[in-house]
Amino acid sequence: MGVLKKIFREDLPFVFAAPALIWQIFFVYLPLFVLFLQSLDFRFSNYSGLLNNLFFNVIANSFILAFITATICLFVAYPVAYFLSMKVKRFKNFLLFSLILPSWTSFIVQVYAWIFLLQKNGPFNIILYKLGIISKSTHLLNNYFAIILGMVYCYLPFMILPIYTVLEKMDKRLIEVSADLGANKIQTFKKVILPLSSTGIMAGFLLVFIPAFGEFAIPDLLGGGKKIFWGSLIVDKFLMTREWGSGAAFAFIGILILLIFFTFFYFIYRFLIKFIRTKKLWGGYE
Amino acid sequence: MRQIRFENVTKSFDGELILNKLNLTIPAGQFFALLGPSGCGKTTLLRLLAGFESVDSGKIYLGDQDITHEPIYKRKINTVFQQYALFPHLSVFENVAYSLRIKKLKESVIVEKVSDVLKTVRLLGFESKSINSLSGGQQQRVALARAIVSEPDVLLLDEPLAALDPRLKEKVLIDLINLQDKLKTTFLYVTHDQFEALTVADQMSIMNLEGNIEQIGSPKEIYEFPFSRFVASFVGSTNFLEGVLRVQEDKMLVEVEGLGRFTVFSPIKKDWFIPGGRLFMGIRPEKIFISKKEITGFSNHLIGKVNNIIYYGRSTQYDVRLRNGKMLTVFEQNEEHFPQQEIDYYDQVNLYFQKENVILLDH
Repeated sequence: MGVLKKIFREDLPFVFAAPALIWQIFFVYLPLFVLFLQSLDFRFSNYSGLLNNLFFNVIANSFILAFITATICLFVAYPVAYFLSMKVKRFKNFLLFSLILPSWTSFIVQVYAWIFLLQKNGPFNIILYKLGIISKSTHLLNNYFAIILGMVYCYLPFMILPIYTVLEKMDKRLIEVSADLGANKIQTFKKVILPLSSTGIMAGFLLVFIPAFGEFAIPDLLGGGKKIFWGSLIVDKFLMTREWGSGAAFAFIGILILLIFFTFFYFIYRFLIKFIRTKKLWGGYE
Repeated sequence: MRQIRFENVTKSFDGELILNKLNLTIPAGQFFALLGPSGCGKTTLLRLLAGFESVDSGKIYLGDQDITHEPIYKRKINTVFQQYALFPHLSVFENVAYSLRIKKLKESVIVEKVSDVLKTVRLLGFESKSINSLSGGQQQRVALARAIVSEPDVLLLDEPLAALDPRLKEKVLIDLINLQDKLKTTFLYVTHDQFEALTVADQMSIMNLEGNIEQIGSPKEIYEFPFSRFVASFVGSTNFLEGVLRVQEDKMLVEVEGLGRFTVFSPIKKDWFIPGGRLFMGIRPEKIFISKKEITGFSNHLIGKVNNIIYYGRSTQYDVRLRNGKMLTVFEQNEEHFPQQEIDYYDQVNLYFQKENVILLDH
């Protein structure tokens, strides 16, 4: 009896977690391992062959795209999340729901909607023409602006949600306390609201940056494939040129770069939090 | 040091009138308690003074200065909140130093002031601790330190002890009294707990459920000479007997239906002392003497039957049913290990009280 009780109390969480864990092992880690073996291909030439200008350009393209997307998303999402959690009293859930709703449809559908909006003689063209900004219908597609527009549009909910969650959970009295202690609204934002929502900003940044780094559909469809990105090159290597070995190696290098970047990012973040906490650069915190 | 004055202050929320033309003066440099039942508007009053809310009409003065429309961050009034509301992302030191950093004081000045205050609240050595690692009592002291470090004109305390256990509460109350003695800052202490208010206050005011101030006075005045039935029953407990006032020569009597006449006394003559008029006689439970034997030397005597006994340790409460069916509560100090007379359920008992201990209250 005692053993059964112990199993129920202590081991049950693991039992419930097991399906997800098994799923991860068979559908994430195992394929990654196979990919890794593939990339080695019993020789290292796949990796050494990557050390060229194309490789660095492609990684830089993806990195810059992901960074710009995540940054713009942050600056657009923060006011929205702030407004929703602090100012809106009624219809809060409805507004949140309507923000999330578009992301329930497929990315591809969302992107095609943008193609329709931006194309020659499309609604945007008509509006700009009527306003007298352009004199004849032009292509608004196939440029960097269109890529960023599509990326930000598709990834925005992933930035809004985590920031909204931390702001919503935040003890609102802390804002009152700050004002009571003599801080004006800007000081309160800098010293209380921003540090307390930093976990949400961090989570949102990761949630946008990582998939944006690997994105290939949006740049291909809205950017016309002029620029080559990490994701699209991997897709090409696997599906078009059938260079599976070098494709796998390329995928792995990208993952590695992401890991290094975020480890670095994380330590800077930790350092900042600690600095805010004690106003001391080193040590001094229990 | 400046006094606080509320002048005809009116405030309503969502059409519900919370404060109606309230007038209240809080003297400078005192420990002032505002006591009232939950939902009476005492917290609203405090939030208006702090600047978290703005008045619908009326004025608030700090000394001669009209602060009705002064923004919250400019008022030299700080608050200790109910659940402390400490900044979780800052250390103890930085929590306390918050208002000083806003003022952009020099680092050496900040260190000195914060250390001083931490010493006052006995938290030296806790500077670099995180808030979550502190006990409730320690967090309470950090909140206090954070509020007094910038030397405000007024310190507002909004039920600051609600989250502490009773024993710790008593200790913190003594600490607060000593702190106020030392700082001489005006403390405005808002609570629904009469014990806290009676303990700390130099002066206290009682607010009723309609948001009106019923009485202002020292704790002793409030307890011994309540002006109204509300005050008499809200601060401590009081037995009420309804009767008719009679005057014989210069003696005042109250005739209670089914119980007879009682001699009463009032040091002040009230304009509603009209012979034949109805009024209430209030008697504090501890001012009634209970005995099975008949004794002499008391102005008033009653007979009843013990209906209920509650043993509190230091005292015992008896609920006694009188001849007219009314219940009277009596407290008796448990002075002896072996009481001379054991009072039991359904015993017939004699109740005695002196005329000076009767409170006369308007009908």
